[in-house]
Amino acid sequence: MELDKFIQHFAAQFEDTDASQFTAETRYKELAEWSSLMALSIIGMVDEEYEAKVKGDDIRNTQTIKDLYEIVKSRM
Amino acid sequence: MKVENYGVTLMRLTEDKIELVRNWRNDPKIVQFMEFKEFITPEMHLNWFHKINNDKNYFFIIEYDGKETGMINVKDIDNEEGEAGIFIFDDYYLNSDLSFKSCVCLAEFCFETLKLKRMKAHILNNNKRAIQFNKFLGYKLSENQEGILNQLYYLTKEDFNSKKERLIRLF
Repeated sequence: MELDKFIQHFAAQFEDTDASQFTAETRYKELAEWSSLMALSIIGMVDEEYEAKVKGDDIRNTQTIKDLYEIVKSRM
Repeated sequence: MKVENYGVTLMRLTEDKIELVRNWRNDPKIVQFMEFKEFITPEMHLNWFHKINNDKNYFFIIEYDGKETGMINVKDIDNEEGEAGIFIFDDYYLNSDLSFKSCVCLAEFCFETLKLKRMKAHILNNNKRAIQFNKFLGYKLSENQEGILNQLYYLTKEDFNSKKERLIRLF
């Protein structure tokens, strides 16, 4: 599992946010497009792409894309 | 009275909690999304509570992680349908799975307990976030809504059930 690929999958869930805004250090819940639906979309993406489970608490307790990546990696 | 599922508890609003709700409801971050934007006094709020404390309206406090986080409702129940509404006050839970969990709990209550045939929601046509949220739950735009600012959406039991399994897999 690579961080760059994870960021690409993460960014693909967004429609209106420019891809350049997504880096390992992006505080993703501060993005204008972030919403309840995005939270579920990310959970769904992790399930489909990585066959790993993240929950709402993981979203609430992480700040950056890399934080979430580390959780996903630990659960694969 | 309470409805529980997915770690969420919907506690029916009681008179001892209306001051909490009044404070939430008067907060600018909530007022901005409400049709009624004037300051709500304790007397106004008590009158409102007496009008909605019946079997045509169900207002619930959303409890999660042992905290009171927001409010959800189905109101104006008539002819086997009612209008849904929700707000999350606690910023920690805003824009998270809690909104969906709460809405699924409410829809189950409406369709399984109240035996409603459909739920409805009015959504401003420029509120893309709310439209996407409600469509994910299974709401569909009603007929003849083109050119209307505050558009009417309906959720039938069948449409809800077709989306529910996918939703709860993500909880």
